[in-house]
Amino acid sequence: MNSESASAFTLEAVDHFQGFRLLRTIKAWPPSLATTVLIGLMAIVGLVDYLTGLELSVSLLYLIPIALGVWTGGRATGYTVALASAAVWFAADWLGRQSYGHWYLPVWNTMALTVSFLVVAALLASLCEVNENLERAVAHRTRALQDEIAQRCRAEGELNQALREVREAHAELQRTQFQLIESAKMESVARLAAGVAHEVKNPLMTLSLGADYFLARKLDNDDETQLAQDMKEAVKRASSVINILLDYSRIRPPQLSLDNLSLAVENSLILVRHELNRQRITVIREFAPDLPLVQLDRARIEHLFVNLFINALQAMSPGGTLTIRAFASDIVEDAADQAVTVELDDTGHGINPQNAEKLFEPFFTTKPPGQGTGLGLAIVRRIMEIHGGTVRLTNRPDGRGARVTLQFHSKFEGK
Amino acid sequence: MTTKRILVIDDEPSVTRNLKLNLESGGGYEVLGENRARNALAAARKFQPDLILLDVMMPDLGGDDVAARLRADPLIHNTPIVFLTAIVSNKETDGHEATIGGELFLAKPVDMGELRKTLEQHTRN
Repeated sequence: MNSESASAFTLEAVDHFQGFRLLRTIKAWPPSLATTVLIGLMAIVGLVDYLTGLELSVSLLYLIPIALGVWTGGRATGYTVALASAAVWFAADWLGRQSYGHWYLPVWNTMALTVSFLVVAALLASLCEVNENLERAVAHRTRALQDEIAQRCRAEGELNQALREVREAHAELQRTQFQLIESAKMESVARLAAGVAHEVKNPLMTLSLGADYFLARKLDNDDETQLAQDMKEAVKRASSVINILLDYSRIRPPQLSLDNLSLAVENSLILVRHELNRQRITVIREFAPDLPLVQLDRARIEHLFVNLFINALQAMSPGGTLTIRAFASDIVEDAADQAVTVELDDTGHGINPQNAEKLFEPFFTTKPPGQGTGLGLAIVRRIMEIHGGTVRLTNRPDGRGARVTLQFHSKFEGK
Repeated sequence: MTTKRILVIDDEPSVTRNLKLNLESGGGYEVLGENRARNALAAARKFQPDLILLDVMMPDLGGDDVAARLRADPLIHNTPIVFLTAIVSNKETDGHEATIGGELFLAKPVDMGELRKTLEQHTRN
């Protein structure tokens, strides 16, 4: 309950408990009803006065129509009712043939009563006016308070809105800052990649051409042929490391289209099926049937899954289990959007939680020298970023391996 | 069989030397290597190649500038140019020649088999 409605409730409660409601109802009577009631009341009191005579003094009962007159019609009506009541009293007295010792006594009584009635009417009228003034002042102050409360509510709303906007701007600023840092990093990596590629691939080309030359010359024996072929293979391997670096640093706009994530997962599994079979890895798929389509760059997403599958394969012993889960969930902040989550659970050695973030940085690797470029997960994060999604690497809740959580947004349409 | 003339413009002498050795030993090609980009136009005018293999990143003049000069020359402008570059990954060229921005590219290190295919396909008759 806000403060405005609380104050309205309090005023209503006071009205109710002080019996003001009945008085307000009487005050609101139409003039014809009020006049009828007043005349009726005076007639009844006069009749009672006539019938009781001097045996029962009922003069004070005349104050009821006077008070009612003042209340319903104001000061003038009050005076009129006071004079009328005095007249009715005199009539009742005269008609009742009261016997007085002196002639002036009934005149004196009438005059005294008339003055008393008028004084009472005047006092009541003054009280009513004071009450009305008070009510007007209260109503005025109440309106002012309500206006003030409404103004404060508006100000509070505006303040909340401003706060929300500041928070959003702050979040946007953080995002922009992050993107700037990321793009600065990417620019450095791109420069480094181009430099490394130029400096390393030219000598590699010389080696490759040399090996090609020897292979074309039909060498004397198989050992020499094998040696030349090994040289070609070594060049290919070294070149592929540079290519991974180049691919990572390349900023190409994604080719997005509405696509099914589970199909991308299946295609990626086909690409690593030989390795899966060789290590006797069991693959468990738990795909929700109503998975919404999301905007995907299919080639890049398959590249992402292949990277993740290879990481999982390298972490697991033969006979391990790879569980792939995909499901959708609503997003609280935006009813039109849905999060599509893919979880990959392996049965490997898990991760050191201290390295959880570092693992996504370029060139960070926990693999033995020569077995990883340190770019696999950096590429995964970059691909998720261009899809407006996120990636997290944690240990499984049951402690039996690592879990990669990818979250996409059904509403994402590229940026 | 006619011998095709190939001009290789690359700042690495070992690359031009080995390309010449490989292509000429296989027969069918006469190769001239030029390691200074600024001399490329003069070499091309003199040699009149049937195809030019042109490195993209060279210290004295970029491959794109060299290509622009060659194409502006009335004697050379019809000669096909295949760029050799270290900064395009093999995945982008899919291991073969690739067209990027309307230009033919081969990713370094070049496989001789692929190079021969490209030469056979694009060398001027």
